[in-house]
Amino acid sequence: MKKHKILIISCILIFILGIAGSIFMILKPHGQNVEIIQDGKILYTINLDNSGDRTIITEYQGNKNVIRIENHKIYMKEAECSDHTCIKMGVLETGASPIVCLPNKLMIQFTDAEVK
Amino acid sequence: MSVKKLTRLSLLTAIALIIFIIELRIPDIVPIPGVKLGLANIVTVYAMYSYSPKETLMILSVRILLGSVFSGNISAIMYSLSGALLCFCGMLVLKHITDKKYIWLCSIIGAVLHNTGQILTAILVMKTTAVFTYFPFLIVSGCIAGAFTGICTQVLISRINFTE
Repeated sequence: MKKHKILIISCILIFILGIAGSIFMILKPHGQNVEIIQDGKILYTINLDNSGDRTIITEYQGNKNVIRIENHKIYMKEAECSDHTCIKMGVLETGASPIVCLPNKLMIQFTDAEVK
Repeated sequence: MSVKKLTRLSLLTAIALIIFIIELRIPDIVPIPGVKLGLANIVTVYAMYSYSPKETLMILSVRILLGSVFSGNISAIMYSLSGALLCFCGMLVLKHITDKKYIWLCSIIGAVLHNTGQILTAILVMKTTAVFTYFPFLIVSGCIAGAFTGICTQVLISRINFTE
């Protein structure tokens, strides 16, 4: 019986840790600099405040991704991949949830790095 | 392996595949890669408690292989496989120290391990630790999904009682 109590308590602990971590990640402050990373390499670093409306096209093994910046917000417009999760994620809002396209190894996230 | 057992295992695999494909049609609640109910794992957990580890591994690997072929998303196979393997090892250990009343507990820990495996693979594949920020969300979703599949299995096992 004691073993099960330990298990139950550890499950509750994991759950609480997860919730605490999620809240921490959502509330974490972030700047306005955004980086676009593909396959571990930083392709672009952009300051959203200074950037006008523009479209960025990246390519990975013949598959294109169309990234759009509008009104100082960045989102994935089109993607040639099988799941389109990155499009459904919509506008990049918190530092907690980078826009990720797993099939094309593409990622858009807030960063503390300076814009060159 | 007897024909009877082979038939049962293939039937379980077929059920898991059907559940998996139906689940693909359910729209994502949260647009984070990796967050889903994982209903097909009801079959995995059931097999875990009713069959030997070797047989469970067979069901699991065939389900993942065929599932990724059918869903047309073969690139996702690495994530599913690594998650499933970590979850399998964890549950194998847990199965020995708990009895059948606490399947849902094992299932929760299994689901969290599954998500851990996926995150680790994502870090290796994407060559960045930034995906790690997803981890807390995946833990929460893993707890909920794991509890759900665990309770389903518990109900299932108490009703179906195959005597080999």
